Amino acid sequence: MRALIDLIIKSKHWFVFLLLEAISLLFLFSHTGYQKSVYFTTANDVVGATYNVISSITSYLHLQQENQSLEQANEQLRRQLHEMEHQMAEMRLDSLCKNPWTDSSYDLINAQVVNATLHKSNNLLTINKGEADGVKPEMGVVCSQGVVGIVYMTSQHYSIVMPILNVNSKISCRLRHSEHFGSLIWERGQDNIAYVTNIPRHAEVTLKDTVETNGYSDIFPSGIPIGKVQRISDSPDGISYLIRITLFTDFATLRNVSVITNYQSEERQQLEQQAQQEKQ
Amino acid sequence: MSSTFLLRIARLLIIMFFQITIFNYTHLLGYATPLAIGYMLICFQRNTSRTGILLWGFVTGFLFDSFSNTAGMAAAACTLTAMVQPSLLSMFTPRDAAEDMTPTFQTLGFKNYFFYTLLLISILHSAFYLLDAFTLADWQLTAISIGASSLFTTLIVFCIELFVRPRKQTKYYS
Repeated sequence: MRALIDLIIKSKHWFVFLLLEAISLLFLFSHTGYQKSVYFTTANDVVGATYNVISSITSYLHLQQENQSLEQANEQLRRQLHEMEHQMAEMRLDSLCKNPWTDSSYDLINAQVVNATLHKSNNLLTINKGEADGVKPEMGVVCSQGVVGIVYMTSQHYSIVMPILNVNSKISCRLRHSEHFGSLIWERGQDNIAYVTNIPRHAEVTLKDTVETNGYSDIFPSGIPIGKVQRISDSPDGISYLIRITLFTDFATLRNVSVITNYQSEERQQLEQQAQQEKQ
Repeated sequence: MSSTFLLRIARLLIIMFFQITIFNYTHLLGYATPLAIGYMLICFQRNTSRTGILLWGFVTGFLFDSFSNTAGMAAAACTLTAMVQPSLLSMFTPRDAAEDMTPTFQTLGFKNYFFYTLLLISILHSAFYLLDAFTLADWQLTAISIGASSLFTTLIVFCIELFVRPRKQTKYYS
């Protein structure tokens, strides 16, 4: 302490010098316009640069918080991206088509194909969900690519599905563009080709038009894609078109499917049965 | 009140009078304007306290500023010059010089006195003109003004010195 006081006393002329210079410069900057403006401009620059440095330091110190908030934002975005990817995967057949999967009027039970035949006339699929899971005969089966088939028989934990690739399968469908409807049938042979019959000749059919379910049955809701028009020809009776389509569903690699439940309306079924009875 | 103090007061008033009446209006070749007030700072004895020199320098500059409308410029320049005066003087002082030696022709010798004066006056003018210009954009003009004014002031200081201290005068008169 004594040494410090000695040092201050010894170098007091420096303090006096700085004080007198400060007074002089104060006079200068407060009374002379040009020097005043230069001083304030420079001072602003210096102050600005100082604040910049301080800001850099404080922002560096706050990096941890920034990182946390960015991490949270990333997590949220990742979740959204995952949802988007999921939705896009469901809609990848045609981005313009209405997404029937998101229709809340029915539920989907996810199932896996455990056995399948593809090269017979009466091909059948076995899935690992049965009556215990709420699966009943005549329920529609779909996959992310499109229609698979219809539940044919059920047991407690398994179900047999009659796929499109069955000569006895007949599913009501329509052309998306013209909305003319027909029936989807399959002929033994290729597992990615099917035919649409009963399309009237006045219908405008274009190649690559999408064939989808028409919702007339109580098995499939409307708008579920089936395939694309590959070739247009006349039916043997000559009064309608026979359209050859390429199926969207790849049966050769089919693994995950969904059974559409709750779509069958009891009221509708009763009404239709009543009509049938009266007709008979 | 010591005679040294009174002598300094008298010196300050006389120099200031000539400065504000004659030298302030002297612009040799448009560049050289002498600051004869520098003579006040040259004359401080060897053992004068640094704080005292600083205060004298500040007062000299402040008076000049008051009469010349140069708010603070001369005060700052004179204070700076006063700060370096003792160090500069010790550079040119002979080893056997007295403790209270006053810098003159006789005490320092012509050559030493000339360089001492020129350096001190140059510092004063540099500080003054740089504060006046307050920019280095036109540094050539500023440098010419500093150089020319320093030489001119040195010449004036020599004239004053010859006038107030004839050859036969005692060495240690202050």
